[in-house]
Amino acid sequence: MKQNQVLSLVQRKRLLGLVATALCLVLLPRVISLGYLSLVIEMMILGVAACGLNLIMGYAGMVSFGPAGLYATGAYATALLIVRFDIPFTWAMIAGPVAAALAGVIIGWFCVRRTAVYFALLTLAFSQIIYTVVFVWYSFTGGDNGIVGIKTPPILSSIDNYYYFTLITSAACLAAMWMICNSSFGKALKAIRENPERAEFIGIHVRRYQLAAFVLSSFFLGAAGSLYCCFNHNVFPVYAHWSKGADILVVCLLGGMFHFWGPIVGSVVYILLDKIIVSFTQYWPMVLGLIVVLAVLFLRGGIAGFISSRALVKAAQQSSGGDR
Amino acid sequence: MLAENIIRQLLSGLSMGMVVFIIAAGLSLIFGTLKVLNMAHGAIYMFGAFLCYWLTSWLPNVPGIFWWSLVIAPLGSAIFGGIIEILLLRRIYGLDMMYQWILTFGLILFIGDICRLLWGVDYYMVAPPWPLNGPVEIFGVFFPAYNLFVMMLGPIILMGIGAMLRFTRLGRVIRAATFNPEMVGALGVNVPLTFTLVFMLGCWLAGLGGALVAPMTAVSLGMDAAVIIDCFIIVVIGGLGSTLGAFIGAIIFGLSYALGILVAPKLAIAIGFVIMAVILIIRPWGLLGRPE
Repeated sequence: MKQNQVLSLVQRKRLLGLVATALCLVLLPRVISLGYLSLVIEMMILGVAACGLNLIMGYAGMVSFGPAGLYATGAYATALLIVRFDIPFTWAMIAGPVAAALAGVIIGWFCVRRTAVYFALLTLAFSQIIYTVVFVWYSFTGGDNGIVGIKTPPILSSIDNYYYFTLITSAACLAAMWMICNSSFGKALKAIRENPERAEFIGIHVRRYQLAAFVLSSFFLGAAGSLYCCFNHNVFPVYAHWSKGADILVVCLLGGMFHFWGPIVGSVVYILLDKIIVSFTQYWPMVLGLIVVLAVLFLRGGIAGFISSRALVKAAQQSSGGDR
Repeated sequence: MLAENIIRQLLSGLSMGMVVFIIAAGLSLIFGTLKVLNMAHGAIYMFGAFLCYWLTSWLPNVPGIFWWSLVIAPLGSAIFGGIIEILLLRRIYGLDMMYQWILTFGLILFIGDICRLLWGVDYYMVAPPWPLNGPVEIFGVFFPAYNLFVMMLGPIILMGIGAMLRFTRLGRVIRAATFNPEMVGALGVNVPLTFTLVFMLGCWLAGLGGALVAPMTAVSLGMDAAVIIDCFIIVVIGGLGSTLGAFIGAIIFGLSYALGILVAPKLAIAIGFVIMAVILIIRPWGLLGRPE
């Protein structure tokens, strides 16, 4: 009985927190200036990308070093459809993630064929070939000039409205990922992460599940890429560069891989750090590398892991105090 | 004319393949013993290349400075690798392997930026050293003597690693530690020291590759990303952890890349990936690997 009450209290708290966050986000454009608003847009997009990567990294335990390739696939698909083929914006936005998911099917099929270490190096290799193709295929992708002047509908031309568009889209993506993670499929992925042999023994087709997770993750990475290219109205090969992948990976690691909300916390902290540190030094990658090293050595659960372990300690102290 | 072109392409493909083999051999050695996929291996290679450029441009009047830097640059890379192993990797061997990969991935950013801080963003050239600075005639074509020298170094390195693993005490310890580190430690061998030495040896090979490549291509930032992908392709073809596999993979990769440039220059980049994909379909564990 008591257990039940505590649970519902937690749930009520969560619901309240979610509603409060949503309200704040909806009212945000009235409060802060446009410069900060575009930072928030970047945070949301990076958050979607990092949550997409976390689907395979945190939940399925498959470390991918090539999220940038799929992110760029989404971005380039949307950009090319709008600029080269005059496809309506809505369809181009849908086509981006779908194209990334299709690329994910092909890449993932190769990557899950061997053990985890090969998965890690193959994802990086395939991501780099996407980068090379984009870079070399001058006539179609524009090479290192990229594609500029991506037109969005007039209604999305103001930053306010694009903010709401991003908010709705990324909320939908996050809700979808939340449902995936908490479904039986998500639980199977966790089982595979913890012990692939046992998962195989209880009848989970490990490779098929891993491939499915990789495709889903690609879809959301592609969605983030599409959102970002329409926000910036341009797309460059650097979207597919491994260092972009490093950014997304750092966001997951910094925020906390083993919590659903970790990557979102990570993206907020990452964008803020980026803006602050870049104003001090041009050696931002060095700082980023240091953050990775320090996080791996001392903060493996990320910020979310740190907070929740502190909360657990606190709760344990409180409950033991109550017993006495 | 065509035959000459083919021979020249084959030779340059082989010499490029041998450089990548030397680097991939280090990657493979480290993975075989430490089970660490050193993502920063390419960055160490770039560090070695920059060290070689820096030494040769700093002391241009010393006779045979390139040969000196060919000794010193790999040693510098090895010491650098040793510091990384002792300060960072040693602390996280007990954890899930993904943390080691992520840590070395972070080191790519760090080492790359150190190179940018020390040497800037320019492209640098290193002149081929005397007495290898001219062309020699081989199979009726003139070919840079230096590239032939690099080509011959590949098999020497392969045999050297094989002999070291087979006949020296360190080699025996490495092979035993690969098999079962706890048991080796229980027998009184200093396993952490062995791991450090293996990591240093792997980084020495990466630095050697970097120093060797300096007279063949431009030394610049970004050369690390290109070479690490070639290394990955080679170890996927040959099987990670096998030096001979890496050697065979490097020959296949180098030759097919060189011929690919002759047939379809624009698609040559994709050829390595096509071979890798074919291997993954018909023999996913690599040519010399074992089914997992």
